[in-house]
Amino acid sequence: MKNIIIAILLIAVSGPISAQSPWVKKKGEAYVKLSEWWTVFDQHYTDKGDIDPNVTTGIYNTFLYAEYGVSDRFTAVFNGAIFSRNVMNNLRSATTGDIIVEGEGLNTIGDLEFALRYGIFSQDSPWKLSATLSLGLPTGTVAGGKGQNLQTGDGEFNQQLSVSAGKSIGNQEFPAYFSLYAAVNNRTQGFSDEFRWGAELGFQPINKLWVTTRLQSVESLQNGDASDLNTASSIFANNSEFLSVGAELSYYLTDKLGLSVGAATAVRGEIIAAAPSYNVGVFLDLQ
Amino acid sequence: MKTKFPIFLSALILLSACVGDDFIEDFVEEEFQITSNVDSLQVASSIQLFTVFRNNIGQQEDVNVDWLSSDDDVIRVEQDGTVTAIAEGEVSIVARIQRPEQELSDTIHIVSTAIEVSEPDLQTTTGTIQTTTFYVLEGSFEYTETDSGVRIDIADDYEASSRLPGLYLYLSNNPNSIAGAHEVSEVTTFTGEHSYEVEGVGFSDYSYLLYYCKPFNVKVGDGKIQD
Repeated sequence: MKNIIIAILLIAVSGPISAQSPWVKKKGEAYVKLSEWWTVFDQHYTDKGDIDPNVTTGIYNTFLYAEYGVSDRFTAVFNGAIFSRNVMNNLRSATTGDIIVEGEGLNTIGDLEFALRYGIFSQDSPWKLSATLSLGLPTGTVAGGKGQNLQTGDGEFNQQLSVSAGKSIGNQEFPAYFSLYAAVNNRTQGFSDEFRWGAELGFQPINKLWVTTRLQSVESLQNGDASDLNTASSIFANNSEFLSVGAELSYYLTDKLGLSVGAATAVRGEIIAAAPSYNVGVFLDLQ
Repeated sequence: MKTKFPIFLSALILLSACVGDDFIEDFVEEEFQITSNVDSLQVASSIQLFTVFRNNIGQQEDVNVDWLSSDDDVIRVEQDGTVTAIAEGEVSIVARIQRPEQELSDTIHIVSTAIEVSEPDLQTTTGTIQTTTFYVLEGSFEYTETDSGVRIDIADDYEASSRLPGLYLYLSNNPNSIAGAHEVSEVTTFTGEHSYEVEGVGFSDYSYLLYYCKPFNVKVGDGKIQD
């Protein structure tokens, strides 16, 4: 039952959105991105979808994301929080200024994900269709700090199977694409399984700049059998759900090297942070 | 130079991810009261009276107490709170303290009698639990003095959300803070009747039941223990 918003947000807002791309690499091609992703929230969506306060909590993750074309059909994907920091603020009396509950931070490696994507259609096909198997390894810390309230991982091994489809829809003057995906995420340790879906629309308004907009949904299948008692972190309970929107700008400094900046936020949620997340990164597109 | 920017920005974000401060409004009015449950005393016997002072965040503080009897010929009171019945009659015993802004006092009435006085009955009172968030938390309770502390009997109309992680019950004198509060137990019952035996706590030591989410460090609800 020690589900974590960290894991959900990582999966929802950062890495696996890219991992859900229907495009596969040609053999030998690669894409590597190092990014910093963070969210700071002092309120959260309750189990009924209302918004309640919580002590200010920050999650800061350094992600390494990599794709490599094993063949023209298979692309290997790695997405991992190679460094994760979870902090909670001091809680002080507004009357005296004294600390009531001391804040603290936790620095560890986060959860890692390995995936293999198979291109169902050939590279030459105008439509792209792929299937991806993702394995999430619980390498982060489930309960850290003096109060055991800090987390950098969800403590469960999950397996996600997804299907994604997409197509380039622009022209030379205005390149664009769209993609859709749906996934079933099988979770262990008593977590409820999840159904996920998402949509992505990307376009190139000016040379070297890509704008990507995303819609992402996670729905709990409410089949977790873990205890309702959850003494570990924050809003990180089982059966978290959300619908998020996000956008990312990617600018190619050279043919291979670029910078990215993005943001996303949940517009509906249950047991999840009610605050936007942000990311900045540098990437290498080795085609 | 451009390629160093994201690295610099990432480092900046990490370095800025320090522990900050959140503040909660925890001001309460100062309270002073005589806590001893005494209403009669046999002539020629003595008893010690006690008081409690709670400051503007609801925490107990030691203060110098000035004791007064309305009739020293009936019941005499020493400055340490010891009262001695001298003769039959009824008096008012006043305890008072000086604060920078005000004088606080409390008064009890004691009957001095020739007959033997029995031990006072164990005290009991009631209250109502209410949520202060969007999480479900409601019900009524009875708060009873025991030989070794207090017992909290939660009634069958009680209901609490089980979706909130790390819900704990405290006894507190500040409805918004666990500073100086007594942690009773983690909440493991979310519907219906149940009880908590709290050892070593006086009946008048606390004014509120406080339901608190530890992982969030946030209050979920409270219940005023009626006077």
